[in-house]
Amino acid sequence: MTSSYTAARLTKARPEPTAMTLRRLSFSSLVLGVFAATAHAASIPPGTPLAAKQEMVRNNGAEPESLDPALTESVNAAEIERDLFEGLTATDHHGNAVPGVAESWKQTAPDTWVFKLRRNATWTNGQPVTADDFVYAWRRFMDPKTAAKLAATFSVYLANGAEVVAGKKPPTELGVRAIDKQTLEVRSAGPVPFLPDVFASAQFAPVSKAVVDRLGKDWTKPGNLVGNGAYVLKDWQVNSKVVVEKNPGYWDAANVQLTRVTYFCVEDGNADLKLYQSGEEDYMQQLPPGVYTSLKAQYPREMHNSALLGLRFYALNNADPLLKDVRVRKALSMVIDRDILASKVTADGQAPLYGLAVKGLAAIQQTRYDWADWPMDKRVAEARKLLAEAGVKPGTRVKFTYNNSDYHKKMAIFAASEWKTKLGLDTDMDSLEFKVLIRKRHDGDFQIARHGWVATFNDATIFLTLLQCASDANDDRSCNKAADALIAQGNASTDPARRTALLTQAAKLAMDDYPMIPLLQYSVPRLVKPWIGGYDDANPLDRYRSKDFYILKH
Amino acid sequence: MWAYVLRRLLVTIPTVLAVVTLCYMLLHLTPGGPFDAEMKVSDAVLANLQAKYHLDQPLWKQYLYYLDSLLHGDLGASFRYADWSVNDLVARALPVSLVIGGTGLVIAVLAGIALGIVAALRQNTVVDYVVMLLANIGSVLPSFVLGPVLVLVFAITLPWLPSGGWDDFAPRYMVLPIALLTLINVAIIGRIMRGSLIEVMSSNFIRTARAKGLPMRVVVLRHALRPALLPVVSVIGPLAISSITSAIVTESWFSLPGLGKLIVNGASDRDYTLVLGLVVLVTVMAVLLNLIVDLAYAWLDPKIRY
Repeated sequence: MTSSYTAARLTKARPEPTAMTLRRLSFSSLVLGVFAATAHAASIPPGTPLAAKQEMVRNNGAEPESLDPALTESVNAAEIERDLFEGLTATDHHGNAVPGVAESWKQTAPDTWVFKLRRNATWTNGQPVTADDFVYAWRRFMDPKTAAKLAATFSVYLANGAEVVAGKKPPTELGVRAIDKQTLEVRSAGPVPFLPDVFASAQFAPVSKAVVDRLGKDWTKPGNLVGNGAYVLKDWQVNSKVVVEKNPGYWDAANVQLTRVTYFCVEDGNADLKLYQSGEEDYMQQLPPGVYTSLKAQYPREMHNSALLGLRFYALNNADPLLKDVRVRKALSMVIDRDILASKVTADGQAPLYGLAVKGLAAIQQTRYDWADWPMDKRVAEARKLLAEAGVKPGTRVKFTYNNSDYHKKMAIFAASEWKTKLGLDTDMDSLEFKVLIRKRHDGDFQIARHGWVATFNDATIFLTLLQCASDANDDRSCNKAADALIAQGNASTDPARRTALLTQAAKLAMDDYPMIPLLQYSVPRLVKPWIGGYDDANPLDRYRSKDFYILKH
Repeated sequence: MWAYVLRRLLVTIPTVLAVVTLCYMLLHLTPGGPFDAEMKVSDAVLANLQAKYHLDQPLWKQYLYYLDSLLHGDLGASFRYADWSVNDLVARALPVSLVIGGTGLVIAVLAGIALGIVAALRQNTVVDYVVMLLANIGSVLPSFVLGPVLVLVFAITLPWLPSGGWDDFAPRYMVLPIALLTLINVAIIGRIMRGSLIEVMSSNFIRTARAKGLPMRVVVLRHALRPALLPVVSVIGPLAISSITSAIVTESWFSLPGLGKLIVNGASDRDYTLVLGLVVLVTVMAVLLNLIVDLAYAWLDPKIRY
C-alpha cells in the first residue's frame, strides 16, 4: 500500500502460486465431488423490521484501477465488480464459495470439472449468460494482448494457462470449453481441490463479447457497462465515487434488499473516519492507526474487527552475508515479543503469530515455534548464544527497510529496540517510498524489510508460495527442497486430510529455516453503523457483496 | 502589445518542451516502476504490459512517441486508471479544481485587498492589530490544521455541511474546501496589501493629492490603489497555480476528485503519462498566468509599456 496515505491499510498482496507442481492422478484414485446448492442471499432473521429506504454508502478505500474484470488487480476494484458481475461461484460472508451463475458443479476427473449454469442468468441487456461468455472472458483474461496483471497468478490453475499467458500457445488452447449453452467444462493443471474458490475471484467473471467488441475501452463506463451481477453501474466519478443500483433482471433479485449503493474511494484513513462520524457514510474501509482503543470505547456497538487471512511479517534476505546463517535469522525472530507488539505497539486487535499459517486458513494447521512459549529471558539467552556461535558480536549493524508510514515506523522502532536491548545489535532504519521498497525487495537489495501478504482465496498454497524455491513471491530467497517436495505431494493428493497434513509439514519444515519473521495476523478494524444488517465478524476474506446487506429500521 | 503577447505565447512551446523532457527523464530515473506491486509480476506478464504501453521500446523512441501524441493533443493512456485516458482524467478533474481553487482565490483576493486597505488606513490602531492578528493566524496555520478545525466545527459539532466528498458541483460540498483555500490565501494577500498601501500612502504624489484637498476616499481609490496593487498582482500568479493544481492537502482532506489527487496518485503509482500530462497542463497554466500578471502590470502602472 502506498504509504503516503495510511499506515495500517492492507497491502494488496498478489499471491502467485506459480511454483506449484501439480501431478496428474489416475482417475480411479479420485473421489468425485458434486456440489449443488440453493441461492445464498441476505439471510434476514424472520421478523426483522427493515427500513423503507434501502440505501447504503460504503467507503471502498481506493479508486478502482478498472471495472474490467480482466484488468482488475486490487481488492478495492474487485469488491465493486462482485456487485456488477457474477462468476461461476461467489464468496459468502464467511469466505466460502457458494453458487453464482453455476447452480451446481461436479469434478468428473482429477483435473476436470463440469459447471452447470442456471438458465435464468441474464446480462443487464436482457441477453442470457451462457457458457460461451465464460470461455470468451477467460481467454481474454489470459491473452497476452490484454496484459492482465494477475493473468500469470491465476493461469497456473488452468490447463495450458501459463503457456497462453507467456504467448507460447494461443488463447484457444486454454483449458475451458462450452459443452452447450449451460455447461462449461474446465480442465485444471493437475488436481486443484479449491478450484470453485478460485472462480469466485472477480477476474473470472463472464464478459459479454458483443459489448466489448462494440465499445472497446469504453465498455466499462456508466451507460455502457453490461454486467450480470445483482447491481448495475449508475455513476462513476473518478477519485470520488461509484454508484450502483439494484438490477431488477438479476436471477436472485427477490433476495436483494439494497436498492442503491454508493462506493466512496477515500484512501486517507482520517478522512474516512471523519466521513463516518459526520454521517456521510455507513461503512468505513479501515480505521487510521492509533485510534482503535479509544474509538472502541466510544462506539462499542459499531466497532468491528475481523481477523483476516493475512500475514504481517519481516522479510529476511537469506542470501545476505550476515543473514545467510540460520542462527542469526533465528535469533532476530526469537527476541521480538509479539504480545507486546500486538497489545501495545499496533494496539488494533491483531493476533501475534509464530508461524506461517494464519488462523482460519484452509488446508493447513497452524504451527508455532516451540520457543514461543518460553519465558522471554530464556528466549533472549538462547538467541544470544546463537549469535555468539555465529560469530556475530554486539554492536553489529543490521539494515531495516520499510515504506514511510507512521504505522510501519512504529513497528520498526519496536523491532529495532528489541534487537538493541536484547541482542546488542544496532539497526539502520531505511525509510523509503512504497514503490522503491517493493523494487528493492524484489531485487534482493535489502537485509530486513517490511512485508505483508493477504489471501485472495482461502487455501494454504497462497502462503506457501512465500517459501517455495522458484516462486516469484519468495523475496527472502530461501529454499528448502524437502519442503517443496512435500508441497508438490500435498497438491497432487486428492485426499483433503492427507493434503492438509503434507502442507502443514512442509510449512513447518520451511519455517524451521527461519526464512522470515512472522509477526501478526492482519485484522480489519472498522466502524459500521448499527442499522447495517448482514455484516459478519467471521469473514476471513473481508469480502462483502452488497446483495448480502440490508438496512434495519432505525 | 499584441506582438508582445504573441511572442510570450510562442515562448510557451520551448518551455513546455524543456519541462516535459526534463520531467520525462526524471520519471524514468526514479526507482520503482508502474507495475511494481507487493507481489512481483511474472516476467511473462511484465513483457505483456510493457508491450501494451510501448515500454519495451528504447527510451528515446518512447519519448518521440510521446511527443508525437502530445502534438496531436493526446496525453496518452493512464497506467493507474486503466479504463481512462489522461485526457479523460484531466477533463474531469480540471473543472473541479478550477471551481474550488478559482472561487477560493477570487474571494481571497477581494477580501484580502479590502482587509489590507482597512489595516493600512488604520495603521497602528486596534483595527489594524485585529486584522493583522487574524491574517497572521491564517498564514501560520497550515491547511492540514485549518481543514480539520473547519470540519470539526461545521460538519461534526454543528452538522451543517458534509465533511467531504463531491457530488457533481453541488454547492454544499464546495463550501468548506473553498472556505479553507480562502482562509489560507486571504492572509497572504491581506498582509501584502497592507504593507504596499502603507508605503504608497507615504509617497510624494499622495502627499500632493492630499495637499490639493482631495477627500480620503478619492486619494485611496483613484491614486493609491493602483500602484499599491502591483505586489499583490505579483503573488496572484503563483497563488492561482497552487490553488488550482496543487491543492493536494485540501483535496485529500475533503476527498475531492481534483488535479491534486491525480498528481499524488500519478507520482506514487509511477503513472508516467498521467504525471507528464499534468506537468504539461501546469506548465501551460503557469505561462498563461504569468502573462496575465505581466499585462496587469501594464494596466496598473502607466510607466510599464510592452
